Amino acid sequence: MRRFYKIFKVAFHSINKNRTRSLLTMLGIIIGVGAVIMTISAGEGATLQVQNQISGLGTNLLMIQTKSEHKAGINVRMGRPIDKKDFDMLQKNSVWMPQLSPLVAIGAQAIGPNGYKSTTVYGVSYDYFYITSKEIALGNFFTKEDVKTAKKFCVIGETIRQELFPGQDPIGRQIRLDKVPFTVVGLLTEEGTGGMGQDMDDIVIAPYTTIQNRLYGHQRGYNLIMASALSENHIADAEIEATELLRESHKIKDGDDDDFEITTQIELQEITGNITGILTILLGAVASISLIVGGIGIMNIMLVSVTERTREIGTRLAIGARESDILTQFLIEAIVLSLVGGILGVIFGIIGNQIIYKATGFYIPTAVYSILIGFGFSALVGVAFGYFPARKAAKLNPIDALRYE
Amino acid sequence: MESNLKNDQMPTKKVIETKKLSRIFKNGAIEVKALTDVDIVIEQGEFVAIMGASGSGKSTLLHIIGCLDRATSGEYNLDGVQVNALDKNQLADVRNQKIGFIFQSYNLLSRTTALENVELPLIYDRTGQFSNSKEIARKALEQVGLADRIYHKTNELSGGQQQRVAIARALVNNPALILADEPTGNLDSKASIDIADLFVQLNNEGKTIVMITHEPEIAQFAKRMIYLRDGQIISDKLIENRSTKEFALKELEKPVTP
Repeated sequence: MRRFYKIFKVAFHSINKNRTRSLLTMLGIIIGVGAVIMTISAGEGATLQVQNQISGLGTNLLMIQTKSEHKAGINVRMGRPIDKKDFDMLQKNSVWMPQLSPLVAIGAQAIGPNGYKSTTVYGVSYDYFYITSKEIALGNFFTKEDVKTAKKFCVIGETIRQELFPGQDPIGRQIRLDKVPFTVVGLLTEEGTGGMGQDMDDIVIAPYTTIQNRLYGHQRGYNLIMASALSENHIADAEIEATELLRESHKIKDGDDDDFEITTQIELQEITGNITGILTILLGAVASISLIVGGIGIMNIMLVSVTERTREIGTRLAIGARESDILTQFLIEAIVLSLVGGILGVIFGIIGNQIIYKATGFYIPTAVYSILIGFGFSALVGVAFGYFPARKAAKLNPIDALRYE
Repeated sequence: MESNLKNDQMPTKKVIETKKLSRIFKNGAIEVKALTDVDIVIEQGEFVAIMGASGSGKSTLLHIIGCLDRATSGEYNLDGVQVNALDKNQLADVRNQKIGFIFQSYNLLSRTTALENVELPLIYDRTGQFSNSKEIARKALEQVGLADRIYHKTNELSGGQQQRVAIARALVNNPALILADEPTGNLDSKASIDIADLFVQLNNEGKTIVMITHEPEIAQFAKRMIYLRDGQIISDKLIENRSTKEFALKELEKPVTP
């Protein structure tokens, strides 16, 4: 152990003697490790952001809609539309879905006293606010009673307020959606940009009854039914329950396919998790290539160093170093180079993440496992690329090495 | 003992004993006999100069004696160890424990202090007998008269001083044998005489020294001279009138007579 410590010191000493060269050699590893950490962390950051947005979609969310299929590039509804009958049936019978809301969405022109804006109008019931975890900034949500009586009330997003009531309090004011006048009763808390880059505040929410009666042309169906499961653990139960209830009510025979689709929040998270996971691996792999290049740099320098120090190796062998001592010395030298490079790379990566955060506002949490990967990889590179030169040094014939000019 | 040494002190021990030592280098079909049937016995406390022209086999002999190379045939016994039977690692350990090497070009680590250079053999010690390597290295440097230079780096030292560091390095592990390969080959006459005188002092302290040299005036400091030609010993005799530092320096001042 003492001897190992001494050989370690010898290796460190010779790195220190060639400081500029050592630093340049390390640069490859520094950049490699830094890149691995930054890319993996960026992937993690993206995952986190998308996951947050998905959980921001609602609480233990389930979405029930008519089955659709892509035909010639168009989404075609396959089954009978989800409608009031389904909604009433679910509301009456469901155990695991305490909150349910229909959703009818139409594009409409919102016109206010000071401007207008093309937007999407969502017709929903009161439960929708709970299901989608909406928060109110000013005024109130419309009530269950308002929905039942199809009041011409609406809640608007911040973007709509800015377009229609720049710098004003919109509560109690009139707007028109297409030609129908509505009273603004609430302003939603700003949400910003969504996971797909859409403006989450470009929204008008009104009772679905009103929308169906006044704007929707008396169409029978809903776009979808949104529901909230009792708890996160009951999302799967809720999905099974909804499937069974709907199959029964739609009179689908055993063995036939459902004519509706249920998407849960968990499924959404899994899908996006897969996508961002693949992305992270891909980016990490690209970054790892730079680590390998860095390793080749270390091997190159170590080979030069072995040749340059042939006489020194001969002397060491003559005064009693074993082959394994020489091997250890050069291997340690390579490993120290790559590990110190690795440490600096970790620092570089963390600082890089901070700089990106400061510059773009894109929060990148430095993933602990990315540090471990980067660091472990750099050690591996040191061993892998240090071994060949070290072996070359150890296998030198002492007599030839002593004579080497 | 059939050795032709005066043996007036305590009973001596054989440090080197070779029997019919031969070394043949094969280069394709060509065989070169570097050494042929060399028998040498060197006892503790001797100071032997090995001389001979280039190609006489003296370097080959030194490499074999120094356990850097192996004989093609014959036996070699170093300080009671049968060297022929040893594997690579054991040879390395023998070099570490029993031999101190001194080279023509010093072979010190560059940009490294004298002390660290002298400590070097102790790094590879596996016996664990040198617990305080710094202190031991310092003593070795004092022994060669460099007490005031221990923290100087090698590039800050003169050639003679560098060779003294190398000698201290050879002494530091208290070896049975000191092997010097043309130790004065890179030094001027004055420094050469100083080094030769240092060898005499170390020999007087009991060190066994084998030195290869080209220079007769340096060889004259030894007690015994072995002359090699074509891989064979052609003369092995005691030196009658050994040179001293004072004599050699005086000789230096004499005008060169044609």
